[in-house]
Amino acid sequence: MPFDARGDDSDEALLAAYGRGDAAAVRLLTERLTPRLYGYAARMLRDAAEAEDVAQEAMLRLWRMAPDWQAGQAKVSTWAFRVVSNLCIDRLRKSGRSVDLDAAPEPRDASASAEAGLIEADRAAALQEALARLPDRQREAVVLRHLEGLSNPEIAEIMDIGVEAVESLTARAKRGLAAGLAGRRAELGYGDD
Amino acid sequence: MAMTEEKENVDNLLEGFFEAGRGDAPVASADLMERIYADALAEIPAPPAPARAGLLARISEAIGGWPAMAGLATATVAGIWIGYAQPVGLGVFSAAEETAAAFELGDLLPGYGGLALEEG
Repeated sequence: MPFDARGDDSDEALLAAYGRGDAAAVRLLTERLTPRLYGYAARMLRDAAEAEDVAQEAMLRLWRMAPDWQAGQAKVSTWAFRVVSNLCIDRLRKSGRSVDLDAAPEPRDASASAEAGLIEADRAAALQEALARLPDRQREAVVLRHLEGLSNPEIAEIMDIGVEAVESLTARAKRGLAAGLAGRRAELGYGDD
Repeated sequence: MAMTEEKENVDNLLEGFFEAGRGDAPVASADLMERIYADALAEIPAPPAPARAGLLARISEAIGGWPAMAGLATATVAGIWIGYAQPVGLGVFSAAEETAAAFELGDLLPGYGGLALEEG
């Protein structure tokens, strides 16, 4: 089958083709999944090299699991996000960087020095800093929901919890982020309102 | 109501930050993509093996497949035909041979009889 004709195939169809020894499926699946898995890992770990290792490991597990993939089970992307999620949490715990659920986010000083004209990247950096202070599970939930754009049922499957627990984690994470970012709104060019 | 208001405030506060975060997604390097392609190709499962061929199919394959079998069949039929079909004229030749066998040597060599008498 020509490469272009594969563009409309689902991730599941491509993985099944790979499992039957079809090398043509490799490039498309890699291009679809790797940037998302890497982005998620990088946001969780805040370390590019570690995030690359995690994304590569997750994809390797996907390739190895392909021959046993059962049609109709979880989406391939959900399965892969779940692997990345577990690998990230393991690394955070082993390296002592993990933030427990009980730890309260540290609110930033609202009187931080203001700098006019900060660009969008500064807002993204401020968000990343605030995310890093969240407990791991809250960070997972809010990154998957608001930065990766996944649905709550998908996140529930990735995190192996119920949908209500996802909603609760996301709400708490957002309150923690708001506490961390409220004082920086003026500094980051949002003005008072 | 207070909770709803708080939620709205939080959502309004964060939306700009989330938008900035989505626009500033970490980018996977070309090197990472290449490593993942290499892993995929190294791990690719072997295509399913074809069913084992029967004895006749394997013999046929060993001697060169169906073209060789077709040649062999043609040669076999030709051999049988040659064996059974009597070529035209062969009977005449055989009859002449039998007639020749009825002659004695003396009939063919007239001087032979005299020589034989002299020796006797």
